[in-house]
Amino acid sequence: MTAFLFLFRRREMVDEKNNRRTDDFDHRLIEEFKKGSTDAMTKIVERYEESLYNFGLRMCGHVQDAEDIMQDTFMGALKGLHTFREETKLKNWLFRIAAHACTRKRRKKKCEPDREISLESLMPMDESNGHYEIPDWSNDPSDAALRAELKSVINTCMVQLPPKYRIVFNFRDLEGFNTEETADILGITPQSVKTRLHRARLFLRKGISAHFDGGQPDA
Amino acid sequence: MEANPMHEDCQNCFEKISEFMDGETDEGTCEKIRGHLRNSPKCRKCLESLEKTVDLYRKSPHEGIPPDVRARLRAMMEMCFSRG
Repeated sequence: MTAFLFLFRRREMVDEKNNRRTDDFDHRLIEEFKKGSTDAMTKIVERYEESLYNFGLRMCGHVQDAEDIMQDTFMGALKGLHTFREETKLKNWLFRIAAHACTRKRRKKKCEPDREISLESLMPMDESNGHYEIPDWSNDPSDAALRAELKSVINTCMVQLPPKYRIVFNFRDLEGFNTEETADILGITPQSVKTRLHRARLFLRKGISAHFDGGQPDA
Repeated sequence: MEANPMHEDCQNCFEKISEFMDGETDEGTCEKIRGHLRNSPKCRKCLESLEKTVDLYRKSPHEGIPPDVRARLRAMMEMCFSRG
């Protein structure tokens, strides 16, 4: 019986290792944190704070809200990291906390309910010839004015994109989560991720192009 | 004069073009879209403009965390650590 329990426990340990989704760097930090190292938590903060801050900024549009999202995320991480079993990547886990923080903030602020974007509203009509004026981002120093204008336009379009599409675009195209990861983090189906991502991209394209074709992004 | 709605093949391509961009269509759909793109300059431009849109957002630089924001975060973490 003892031998059986030994083998069973050994298999459990192997399974835990095989089920671990964190990379080695994060895993070491998590292990150190669980042993009481505050320095490990500081390193986790340093690793993810900028991404989380920018995520908060894109989702909420305000520096103060971005700061709140970031703080709420790390507070949540501090509370939950001791029991985190690494069944997902640390980044994914942190962004799940951040996504919930965004939702809570919207509820607190009593923001307008999320609206649907229909695919029909984004379809080009035959006469458009498929042309959309989308500038390239340039890091040429002489293009500072264009960069400032571009930044303003893309930020405006992002804020106008309804939150349920905005978060998917952020996760898929900017944070690099794949469809399955995004679906898992947000608690939606992979097909919903694909549908929302497609509409988000079309919406943003339309808004940017409208500005540079001489119009304004749609309200 | 009313604008014409999209041709059916263009519409089918339009609906799946993001998944095609991401390599997430099945092989049959992928081949269909590739074939359609060869013959449809308009749909090729659609794909290109979507790629450019995503690229534009990816290339726009991250905002740095303002020093006071960073300092407040550090202070908050220190306070939590000292509470145990």
